[in-house]
Parts: sequence; structure tokens; C-alpha cells
Amino acid sequence: MSTLNAAMEASASALSAERLRIEVAVSNLANAESTRSENGQPYRRRDVVLSTESVNSFDSALGRASATGVEVVGVLEDQSPFQVRFEPSHPDADENGYVALPNVDAAEEMVDMLGAARAYQANLTAIGLIRDLMQRALDLGR
Amino acid sequence: MGDVSDAAIVAALRRQMTIATAKQAIAAGNLANVNTPGYRAREATFTDALDRELGPAGRLSTSNPNHLAGAVPSPVDSAEANGLPSRRDGNNVQLDRELLSMVEAAADFSAAQTVLAGKFRLIRYAINEGR
Repeated sequence: MSTLNAAMEASASALSAERLRIEVAVSNLANAESTRSENGQPYRRRDVVLSTESVNSFDSALGRASATGVEVVGVLEDQSPFQVRFEPSHPDADENGYVALPNVDAAEEMVDMLGAARAYQANLTAIGLIRDLMQRALDLGR
Repeated sequence: MGDVSDAAIVAALRRQMTIATAKQAIAAGNLANVNTPGYRAREATFTDALDRELGPAGRLSTSNPNHLAGAVPSPVDSAEANGLPSRRDGNNVQLDRELLSMVEAAADFSAAQTVLAGKFRLIRYAINEGR
């Protein structure tokens, strides 16, 4: 059963990682027009950095096949340049009438969000399958 | 059936369930990393054939009964899957392939479980004197 638990843990780690990706994409979209953030600069779009994480289990300690989870290493700011728009009436416009807007591209965020949602779905399916196996194993005792 | 003992059948079914579980875990790990840049998909490998081939030469020698037999011969191991096209970020996990392997493993497991449960039911039937 320990391997199944490790598999479940790996899938669960992916669920939280993908959920965070969706959360970040949503806040990027929400702040697509935010010209002021905590540091006074326009909002910078954020990216989630993922990395593999070995699930500690009895099997992995013995060097046997075990599941590999995923972990969020950090949420980094995209350093690409801001978009500029000519809008002299905007309160944050510079002396030439240009406003620096966040470097958020709606299409990019939507694609990110779709990818994350599909990956979330896939991992949810995986959890369902693992749960079925566990249930079957428990049924042996009936 | 004559010369195949119940114990041998149960052991074989147990092995099938262990292998299915390990395959499930490996596929779950691959699915979890479907968005991790540079991650290479892994797949189950079966080392017991090699172990059988190597025989005692493949293990540590034990001169005392308290010695451990070195590496515990494990039925399933995992290795990087090869021949899969990778994406631009170096990741080569394919969603459909992994889900298929999970469904396959679940079916294997269910089949073994059904037979094993039948086996146990027979034993219980014998214990209860057919009641």
C-alpha cells in the first residue's frame, strides 16, 4: 500500500501546484491594467516555477520504484518590458502622455490557465484510479 | 491444476498486484510532473529477470545468517523512458500515454484482485465446512 500512498501524494502535490498556477494566471489577468503596485511601479506578471520532488517513502528508501511529486520552487516576476499606451488623460501618464501598463498578455494567461486546468483534471483522474485500487485492495478483506 | 499449489497462485497474484501498483505510482509521478520543465518520463522496468540470470553473482555474499542480502531484490524498478518526443521545455510526458498506463495497471490490479478474492472465498468456504 505504501507505493499507492506515494502515488496519491505525488498526484496531490500536482493538484496544489496546478491550482497555484491557475491562481497566478488569474491574478495576472485581474491586474492586466494595474498601473500601481506596492513598489509604485506597474504590476509585473508572475510565473510559477515547478520542480520535481521525490516523495519520501519506504520504497524510495529501498531504491525501488516510487512516485515523483512536484513542488513549487517559487513565484517569480516576469522581467520583460512593460507595455506602453498613449493615454495623456491617465493619472499615471508620463510627461509625453505615455502610460506604462503591466506586461500581461491575456492570450498567454488563458493558454497557461487551460494547460493548468487540463493537468489538474488529469491528476484528479489519476487520484480516482489510485483510490479505486486502494478500494479493491481493501475489498480482499471482505 | 494438480501440481500448482494454492500458495504459488497466491504468490503470483500478489506479484501481479505489486507490479500494477508500482506502474500506477510511476505513471502518477509522470502525470504530476506534466508541467515541470526538463522532467523526463519514467517507466517501470523489471529487474527480476536479470536477477535470476545473474543468480548469486548479482548479490552480496553473506557469511553470517545475520547479514542482510545486500540489495533487496525488488520486483520493479524505474528508468527513464526513451523514444518519446520531448517538448520545447525538455519535458517528454505525454498525458494520454500516462493515463493509458494507469488504466492498464488498474485493470491488471482488478483482475488479480478478483481472482485472489475468489481464492480466499474458496478457502473461507472450506473453513466454514461449506456453509
